[in-house]
Amino acid sequence: MLQAVGGRSVQATRLLAGRRAVLVEAVRGRKSRTDTVAKSKQGRIKVPPPVDPTEMVVLKERYAEYEMITRALRLEFKEEVLRKKYEEETGSMAEERSRQEAEEHRALMAFNDQENLRLLQRRVLRIQMEKEEAERKQVEAVLQREEQQQEFIKEKEREILKLQEDAKNFITLENLDQRIEEALDSPKNYNFAIDKEGRVVKQTMLQ
Amino acid sequence: MPMKGRFPIRRTLEYLQKGDIVFKNRVKIMTVNYNTSGELSDGARKFVFFNIPQIQYKNQWLQIMMFKNMTPSPFLKFYLDDGEQVLVDMEGKDYKQISLHVKKILGKSEEVLQAEAQAKMQASNPANFGPRKYCLRECICEVEGQVPCPGTTPLPKEMTGKHRTRMAAAAAQE
Repeated sequence: MLQAVGGRSVQATRLLAGRRAVLVEAVRGRKSRTDTVAKSKQGRIKVPPPVDPTEMVVLKERYAEYEMITRALRLEFKEEVLRKKYEEETGSMAEERSRQEAEEHRALMAFNDQENLRLLQRRVLRIQMEKEEAERKQVEAVLQREEQQQEFIKEKEREILKLQEDAKNFITLENLDQRIEEALDSPKNYNFAIDKEGRVVKQTMLQ
Repeated sequence: MPMKGRFPIRRTLEYLQKGDIVFKNRVKIMTVNYNTSGELSDGARKFVFFNIPQIQYKNQWLQIMMFKNMTPSPFLKFYLDDGEQVLVDMEGKDYKQISLHVKKILGKSEEVLQAEAQAKMQASNPANFGPRKYCLRECICEVEGQVPCPGTTPLPKEMTGKHRTRMAAAAAQE
């Protein structure tokens, strides 16, 4: 306490020395150097506010203590924040957490791989089935074409036979006279009658 | 002309905010390979159509690329920041199943999301006044129903310090 008083007294004497002699320079503040001094301020001499030495001493002590405390608190808080950050990044919990995360990641990747495998198997089955289906269709198509060809051939054969049959009834140069005679001998009546009920009557008189 | 496109609801903020897939910080790139026709790619197409906007909204820094008709079967590929690639097969799946699966393997879990939201709330206390960068408001005069800023409208005489000191001086004199 005595040491503190010793230090403070030097400053107090320095303050008391030039009380009225000290002149504060004219600080223009808001006005520029070309602006005139206001009428109400002509001849004004600015003097700093009076200082009570005992009050000054007491205040200085108290302020020193107060500032020390606030500075200490401030540094404490800063340190706490830094420590938290450090713990977050390179603490024991962080390693544990990262290890756990890696584990979980591996497990999830394994699950994903399983899922992919399952889908792969489904896909392989599907492709196989599609291939078999295509082969079957191919074989069927070939058979179908074979059948169609056979049908065609048969149809053609039938036509040939029919033509052969018809050829027997053709009119040739030898039969010509005979057939003319036959045609003239048997007159054919193409007339017919039909009534309102739709009954056809083919027995009509030939004229 | 307020509504554009086939399902304009995809463009609303409400729909985008409803997206629940938030990827882990390690996922950097997402690639979607799908086909524009075919039954098997149907789920993939719906996923791209409905869920990709939500994912991009929630993961603004994730790069998403779409490739069409490059492979016979659709799939997703994720590229993590340590070089690992994660392949997810999408063939024949429904778009809801795909999004659930993706959320399970690479999305942030509910607890993590909630913890993050809590931390964000704690960091930004609305009761603090200060620079815009850190706080909601800078001065009480900005709040509705409070005394307006004396910089814009002059305060009534009774509230100024000048008047108060004069009154106090007058009272002391008496």
